[in-house]
Amino acid sequence: MSQPKEIFVVMSRCTACKTCEIACAVEHSGSKNLYGAISEKPIPKSRVYVEWVAPDGKVPIVCRHCEDAPCMHACISGAISRDDEGVVITDSDKCIGCWTCVMVCPYGVIGRHLEEHKAYRCDRCPDREIPACVSSCPTEALVYQTVDAFSSDARKDVAGEMLAGEGD
Amino acid sequence: MAEDKARYVITGGSAAGMAAAQAITEQDLNGIITVLSEEPDMPYFRPLIPYMVTGKKSAGDMQMSGNGPYKGSGIDIHVNSRVDSVNVSERTVSINGQGNISYDKLLLATGSRPYLPPEIKGADANGVFALRTLADAKAMAERVSVTDHAVMIGGGLLNLKAAFALLERGVKVTLVVYSPEVLSQLMEPDDALLIRNALDRAGLKIKTGCSATGILSDKSGVTGVSLDDGSEMPCQMICIGKGVRPNVDFLSGSEIIIDQGIVVNRYTACNTPGTYAAGDVAVTFDPVTGERIMTGLWTNAVEMGRCAGYNMTGRKTAYSGTFGIMNATQIADEPFVSMGIVHTKNTDYEVHVRNTGSTYRKVVFSPDNDRLLGVLFIGDITGAGMYRYVIRENMPINEIKSLIINQRLHYGHFIRN
Amino acid sequence: MSDELKVQEKSIDPAVQQMISKADEKGIVTVWDRYEAMTPQCGFGDTGLCCRHCLQGPCRINPFGEEPKTGICGATADVMVARGLDRAIAAGTAAHSGHAKHLAHTMMKMAKGEAKDYSIKDGDKLKAVAGRLGIAVEGREDMEIAKDVAAAALADFHEKETPVLWAATVVTPGRVKVLSDLGAVPKGIDHEVSEIMHRTLYGVDADAVNLLIAGIRCGVADLAGCYMGTDLADIMFGTPTPVVSKANMGTLKQDMVNIAVHGHNPVLSEIIVAVADDMKKEAVDAGAAGINIVGVCCTGNELMERHGIPSCTHSVSQEMAMLTGAVDAMVVDYQCIMPSVVTVAECMGTKIVTTMDLCKITGAEHIEFREEAAVEKAKEVIRVAIEVFDRRKGKPVDIPDIENTVIAGFSVESIVAALSKLDAEDPLKPLVDNIKNGNIRGVCLFAGCNNVKVPQDKNFKIMAERLLKENVLVVATGCGAGALMRHGFMDPANVDKLCGEGLKAVLTAIGEANGLNGPLPPVLHLGSCVDNSRAVALTVAVANYLGVDTDKLPVVASAAEAVSEKAVSIGVYAVAAGLPTHVGVMLPVLGSPAVTEILTDKVKELTGGYFIVDLDPESSADKLLAAIDERRKGLGL
Ligand SMILES: Cc1cc2nc3c(=O)[nH]c(=O)nc-3n(C[C@H](O)[C@H](O)[C@H](O)COP(=O)(O)OP(=O)(O)OC[C@H]3O[C@@H](n4cnc5c(N)ncnc54)[C@H](O)[C@@H]3O)c2cc1C
Repeated sequence: MSQPKEIFVVMSRCTACKTCEIACAVEHSGSKNLYGAISEKPIPKSRVYVEWVAPDGKVPIVCRHCEDAPCMHACISGAISRDDEGVVITDSDKCIGCWTCVMVCPYGVIGRHLEEHKAYRCDRCPDREIPACVSSCPTEALVYQTVDAFSSDARKDVAGEMLAGEGD
Repeated sequence: MAEDKARYVITGGSAAGMAAAQAITEQDLNGIITVLSEEPDMPYFRPLIPYMVTGKKSAGDMQMSGNGPYKGSGIDIHVNSRVDSVNVSERTVSINGQGNISYDKLLLATGSRPYLPPEIKGADANGVFALRTLADAKAMAERVSVTDHAVMIGGGLLNLKAAFALLERGVKVTLVVYSPEVLSQLMEPDDALLIRNALDRAGLKIKTGCSATGILSDKSGVTGVSLDDGSEMPCQMICIGKGVRPNVDFLSGSEIIIDQGIVVNRYTACNTPGTYAAGDVAVTFDPVTGERIMTGLWTNAVEMGRCAGYNMTGRKTAYSGTFGIMNATQIADEPFVSMGIVHTKNTDYEVHVRNTGSTYRKVVFSPDNDRLLGVLFIGDITGAGMYRYVIRENMPINEIKSLIINQRLHYGHFIRN
Repeated sequence: MSDELKVQEKSIDPAVQQMISKADEKGIVTVWDRYEAMTPQCGFGDTGLCCRHCLQGPCRINPFGEEPKTGICGATADVMVARGLDRAIAAGTAAHSGHAKHLAHTMMKMAKGEAKDYSIKDGDKLKAVAGRLGIAVEGREDMEIAKDVAAAALADFHEKETPVLWAATVVTPGRVKVLSDLGAVPKGIDHEVSEIMHRTLYGVDADAVNLLIAGIRCGVADLAGCYMGTDLADIMFGTPTPVVSKANMGTLKQDMVNIAVHGHNPVLSEIIVAVADDMKKEAVDAGAAGINIVGVCCTGNELMERHGIPSCTHSVSQEMAMLTGAVDAMVVDYQCIMPSVVTVAECMGTKIVTTMDLCKITGAEHIEFREEAAVEKAKEVIRVAIEVFDRRKGKPVDIPDIENTVIAGFSVESIVAALSKLDAEDPLKPLVDNIKNGNIRGVCLFAGCNNVKVPQDKNFKIMAERLLKENVLVVATGCGAGALMRHGFMDPANVDKLCGEGLKAVLTAIGEANGLNGPLPPVLHLGSCVDNSRAVALTVAVANYLGVDTDKLPVVASAAEAVSEKAVSIGVYAVAAGLPTHVGVMLPVLGSPAVTEILTDKVKELTGGYFIVDLDPESSADKLLAAIDERRKGLGL
């Protein structure tokens, strides 16, 4: 079996433009375009978070789909499972909004949709070849690669390595 | 055992038992896994049973097998199978007094059952519940049709969940709480204001500082409850939520060491060979204080169960313990997370409280203000998992302290550290 | 990376398509390549939720309701969007009125005898304008009147006792009241622009409604700038009358010195046209058959409507003209000139000549134009082109063999003159009667640009086809006119094919009465983008004739492929005039549901007009037809 691709971050390239956040929300909308998405109910949500570390660190954070996914095991309603590609998926029909996954995710990448009373998270864009955040990134700070290809990349940096690390 | 197929017997088919079984299937492709459950239902997600009362989920919707990480294949599950004794020297268990089966590795994952305080007289009447099993929930759902008013004895999370299920069905509900405030296990009275407001908004009646002394009934079942202030309340249903006790009775006479629950080492193993324990029935420990504790947490039961499963297959895996308190949920429209040490009255912990009117946050640091010990977030639980991580890893918090106090922590801060 | 856009998705103009393929072959980067490199575009900017008005910024508000919910200063999405929109309106207003101011200065110089190369070409219009402004005309010399008109024009820029005259005197009396009640009568054109800059500054206006009313006021000031631009150009260069011309790249000639005049203001290009004959000998000496002047964008429209100068191409395809290899010089004044023309010119051997101090482009040759020495400067410019031709001659060129017949030159005056052939006493009567009897269901103005986000001309073509079939009288300006002329919409031969029966009858009747032996063209070319004033003038004339306000008429407008901030300010004055106004690309306002609602709905209660933002040309046409019908119903028709 070929190694699945993952989303890696090259922090030094991130300008914190947050284009990925918008692209992610749009991809997870009904209309899949910004103009439609913006007025949709329920409001579409981004599952990637561009954070800031003083004084100038820009850090896109996205679900790692941890090998030992704490969210999946902690879920008290069986709503979180791993698909054949290794992607950890939250089935929102099964989610009861107890937020146990939020409590155990050490990356803080599980969002809460308040109107819907459902947890949501990165699903690596099942309808796309390349996740929306990656293809939208204007500076190629997000990279969609296999672990091997990414680590053999000359531009490999500490941040990427850290973010590729698995959950606790 | 190296050549033969290993026989794994798991007593109790719930969080700990099924997590262990699943872990074993991943590690030992040839093992024979037998799960024995006393209950009539196939393993289900126990925390979902209030949805049986509301009618929002069917028993089928709650099945563990095929949902979440539970593939369900390669596991032989026997329901209506109570283990009544364990023979550790023969390595057999006896089932329903009818026969023995042998094991190479045994997991004790029998969980816990509700505690029924003996001072409440008449608790055997029809319409008195202590919600624990799917069967309880089914019975409770049936009783709703003849229930106009239900009284919940005990103000813990379980009773609140049951109360909301009943409210949803249009039943009037009164909560009788001995403590000065609800959820006293998870927060102090002063912390509970937002929750209390949410409960009031939801239409729940609450009587604090009061306990039940007796249950009144006739042939139709419960008719009322008498309280220690001398008053009586008519009702057609009572739900007792006064905590749980581990299911260890069947082990009396075995050599397995019990101290409230089943005592295990860091690798979830009991004192007797080939015997392991996990979940509500096991004595666990707090990763920060190292203290031995008993808990009733699904998350812990799964984690410990998985760990036991690995150990049973020979993959040595240390169990990292759990906080006695580690709860996330939403009560009415108020989400909250409570974890670690959150009871601070008469202690010398450094406590930071922030109340915005719509959110409440309590952050507890060690007296030397060097470690995070606990957090309580109400209203806004953003990023709760990272605080859990900080507590659990016993991280020095100097640099991120103000971020913690202001609930501004994100994963980027760990990368930079 | 998005998939490469297919040629048809870039432009539906076959000449442009040929040139796009050529650019691809030659590896020349064009607007479509740059657009692709720019995608996906920033969603914050796209929704108007990006603010750089202070140095604490840049700020951006999350359009999906997450943090950040306000700017650092606390500006809400509503405020941020309204401020951004206001600045766009101010920029558009500054541009149109800057163009008008340039003409006013030229007129003043002419009246003072300092700009001898200019003269009064339409004394009647001069007097009509003066009369409207309350300037005495009886027994006065034209030059004297012109001086007063120029002075009045210049006075309209600053705050003074009277409101902006070019606004207050050009709308219906009812509209003056509507705008006064709204506080939307401009005090001075420049004043309104600078007040927008003030109120959108860090820490000033933070009330979206108040901001939008100021935006409308500035939009009305934009109408004044446009109207003034048309008036003064008509006075100095002549009011257009119908004229036959050609459009598209087939108008370039291999054996001639091809000069593309590009931009907006006729101040220079008029003189170039005037001296071209004198320069022919120099061109012939260099081996050319002559000098061929073609227009690009609105400079092209200005020359076409007055002199029948052909239009080469428009707006988003401006680079393509040079891809032919046949353009010797592209002479630009200002507005809508993509800086990239310099790069393409370098590849193709074209010389870009900038002429205005406020519009220099690095890499272009700059010949500073002065009205005082207009002829001399115009000749200098033409000589640059002849020199380039000298090097180019004999080399192969790729001129697409595509051109369309165009009848242009429909000013209000020429339309009224044509109508007077049907009813000399009451020239508007035949028009109004045909609106009443339904032969003309309504009127639609197509204006604005071509936007790289829309396959070039597609929205215009689809919408115009629909509306003409539904008997809507279509008029067009700017690059909207450019689009339609390049697809045969201004060729009377296509009336049969394009127009519904009622409209066909009207166009034919007017044509026949004017001795054209056929109909008027399906779409009437009203001129450049400042000439949107002509559409307003026509609407106001009909409204006054009927004794109703402009918001009651079945008149709609569409900037189906808008680009420039000028299109935004025009849209705002169309709405201020009470017209349902379609925009076929997204305005950066969606980030504020409140502002979006005001613009597309609530403003109706204030001015009667409103924006229809719809990116789909079919449903846009439906909506415009519905708006027309609603108004017909309101008039009891
Ligand atoms: C309504 C409700 C809501 C809850 N919500 C949450 C929540 O939100 N978060 C959370 O962390 N926890 C929650 N809990 C607690 C959680 O369900 C328990 O902590 C968890 O189920 C413990 O799992 P376990 O496998 O250790 O034991 P149990 O789930 O108790 O399962 C033990 C099983 O063993 C069987 N058994 C017992 N003795 C024998 C025997 N001798 N032979 C054979 N079988 C036997 C029992 O019948 C039972 O089926 C909730 C509990 C309830 C009832």
